[in-house]
Amino acid sequence: MTAIYKKELRAYFTQMVGYAFLAFMLLLVGMFFIFVNIFPSSGNFGSTLANAGILFFILVPILTMRLFSEETRHRTDQLLFTSPLTVAQIVVGKFLAAFSLFVIGVGATVLFPLIMRRYAIDGLPTSQIVGSYIGFILVGAACIAVGMFISVLTDNQIIAAVATFAAIYAMFIMESIAMTMPISAAASLVFVAALILAVAAIWYYSTRHWISSAMLAVLGLGAAVGLYFYDNLIYDAIIVRALLWFSIYTRFHVLSHGVLNLADLVYYFSFAALFVYLTMNIIEKRKWR
Amino acid sequence: MIEVKNLTKQYGTHTAISDLNFTVNAGEIVGFLGPNGAGKTTTMNIMTGFIAATRGDVAIDGQDIIAEPEKAKQQIGYMPDTPPVYGDMRVDEYLGFVADIKKVPRGDRKHMLHQIKAQVQILDVSRRLIKNLSRGYRQRVGLAQAMVGNPRVIIMDEPTIGLDPKQIIEMRDVVKSLGKKHTVMLSSHIMQEVSAVCDRVIIINRGNIVAQGTPKELSASLTKAEGMNQLRVKATSEAARAALKDFTVIRHVEISASDEPGTVDLQLAGESGADIREAIFRAFAKHNLPILSMRSMDLSLEEVFLKLTGDRRTS
Repeated sequence: MTAIYKKELRAYFTQMVGYAFLAFMLLLVGMFFIFVNIFPSSGNFGSTLANAGILFFILVPILTMRLFSEETRHRTDQLLFTSPLTVAQIVVGKFLAAFSLFVIGVGATVLFPLIMRRYAIDGLPTSQIVGSYIGFILVGAACIAVGMFISVLTDNQIIAAVATFAAIYAMFIMESIAMTMPISAAASLVFVAALILAVAAIWYYSTRHWISSAMLAVLGLGAAVGLYFYDNLIYDAIIVRALLWFSIYTRFHVLSHGVLNLADLVYYFSFAALFVYLTMNIIEKRKWR
Repeated sequence: MIEVKNLTKQYGTHTAISDLNFTVNAGEIVGFLGPNGAGKTTTMNIMTGFIAATRGDVAIDGQDIIAEPEKAKQQIGYMPDTPPVYGDMRVDEYLGFVADIKKVPRGDRKHMLHQIKAQVQILDVSRRLIKNLSRGYRQRVGLAQAMVGNPRVIIMDEPTIGLDPKQIIEMRDVVKSLGKKHTVMLSSHIMQEVSAVCDRVIIINRGNIVAQGTPKELSASLTKAEGMNQLRVKATSEAARAALKDFTVIRHVEISASDEPGTVDLQLAGESGADIREAIFRAFAKHNLPILSMRSMDLSLEEVFLKLTGDRRTS
C-alpha cells in the first residue's frame, strides 16, 4: 500500500496536477478570506471555509480524475492488478494519496487564521474555526471517495472530471432537490418498491440466477407492503430522508458552528468508506466480466 | 509449473477461448502461437490473474490464481503486449516502484535491478524518462519489469511486436537466456519466432488448441500425413506418364514443365502417407528414365501453422 501511496503522491508533483490543485485551492481560499474576513473585519475564518467548501466540485475533480482513468488508459492497470498487491491495498493507497494532497492544501490555509490572530482584539472564535476545519476535511474525504469511484468507471480523464463535477454539485444542491420530493406514505412506498426492484435487478445482473432474484424481489416487496400496513409512519418522507443522506454539506454547517457530534463523524467516515468499497467492488467485478 | 485446466472465457455470448488444457513444465520455453484474435491475450490475462475465467482453473506452481492470488502472482512476471510503463517516471524510478509492489527485500534490490538492466541492455537509459524512450527500449523496460523479483514464471505477450529486425534478434537472445533460470511462456503470431526460441509450441485458433508439440514433431506429423515427393525426371511428360501407368499406389500426380530443357517436374504422393520413394525409383528405372532429383516436401512450420489455422469452416 505504501508503494502505491508514494507513487501517486509523487505523480501529483511530476505531472503539475498537484501544483495546479494547491495553487487553485489557495487562490480560492485567499479570495474568500479577503471578501469574508478582511473587508467586513470578521474573525470567523469558519465562514471562509464554508464558502470555499462549496467549490469542492471544482477542486476535487482535479485530484481524482486521473486516479484510475490514467492507469486504464496507459494499460498500467495490468501491472498493478497482476502484482501481488490486493485490490484493497491499491484502492486505499490511491485514496490516501489524494486525501494527503488535499490535507496538505488545507494545512497551508492555517496561515490565514494565524495571521488574523495577531490582530484580533477579542480573539478568534476558535471552536467554530476548528470545527470548520474538521468539517472541511471530512467533506473533502467524502468527495474524494466519490471522485475516485467515478474515475474507476471510465478511462477518459475528461469524462471522469465532468462526471465528478456533476456528482459533487448534485450533492451540494441535494437539500433543495430533496425539498421538492413528495412526502406522502404512498409515494414513499412506490420509492421503496422501486429500490427493491433495482436491487433485485442488480442481483440478477451479477449472478444470472433468476430464482434467487425473483425471491429477493417478492420477499422484499412483501415486507415493504406489510410494513406499510403495520406502521406507515416509517414511510414518512422516506424519499426526502434518503436524498438528504447524500447531502454532505448539511452536517458541515453543524460542524462549522463548533458542534462536534460523533454521529456526524461516523456519517462522513461511512460515506467515504462506502465509495472506497464500491471502487474495490467495481474492480473485482470487472475481472469477471 | 503452469497447469491450465478446462479454461473457458465468454464475453457475453462471444466465446473467446473454450476448454483449453495444457501444462508448461519447469524450465521450458513454450510458444503460444495463433493468428490475431485467436485468444492468446485473453488466455495470458487469465493466467496472470488480470481477468477471471468463466470456467476452469489456472495453477502456478500448484497455487490457484483465483483462490490464492497473492501467492500465485508472486511467482509470475507478466509482460503484456503494451509495456505497462509510466511515461513520467525515470527507468530507475519505475523499476524501483515495481520492486516495491512485488515486495522485493530492500537489501537485494540494488544488485538485482542492476543485473536485470544489464541483461536486457538498458543500463545506458537508467536516468531517462520513459516517455522519451524509443519503442525498442520501452519494450525492454517492460521486459525488465517482468523479471523484477526473480519470478519463477515469465509470461510474455507478443514480446517482439513493433521491433526492428535487429531488436527482434536481441529480444530472442534475451528470451533464450531467460529460459535458463525461468519457465517462460510467450505468445506470437509469427511462426519463425516461436520455432527459433521455443522448446515446445501450442497452436491456438478460434479459442481452441489445434496442435501442440516440439517444432520438429509438428512439422513431421503433418509432412508424414501428406507424404508428398517432388521429382525432376529427364523425360517428356508423355514418357513420364507412361512410366507411372502401371504404378497403382499413387494417389496424386502432377506433371509440369521445368525450366531445364528436356526435363519435367512431378509431384507424387503415396496412398495415405505410404513411403513410395523406392517404388518411384524402380518405375522410372524400368523405363530407363533418369531421375535427376527427388526430395520429400517438408512442410515448413510456417505452412503447418497456416494449414492448422486456416479457415476451418471450409474443411
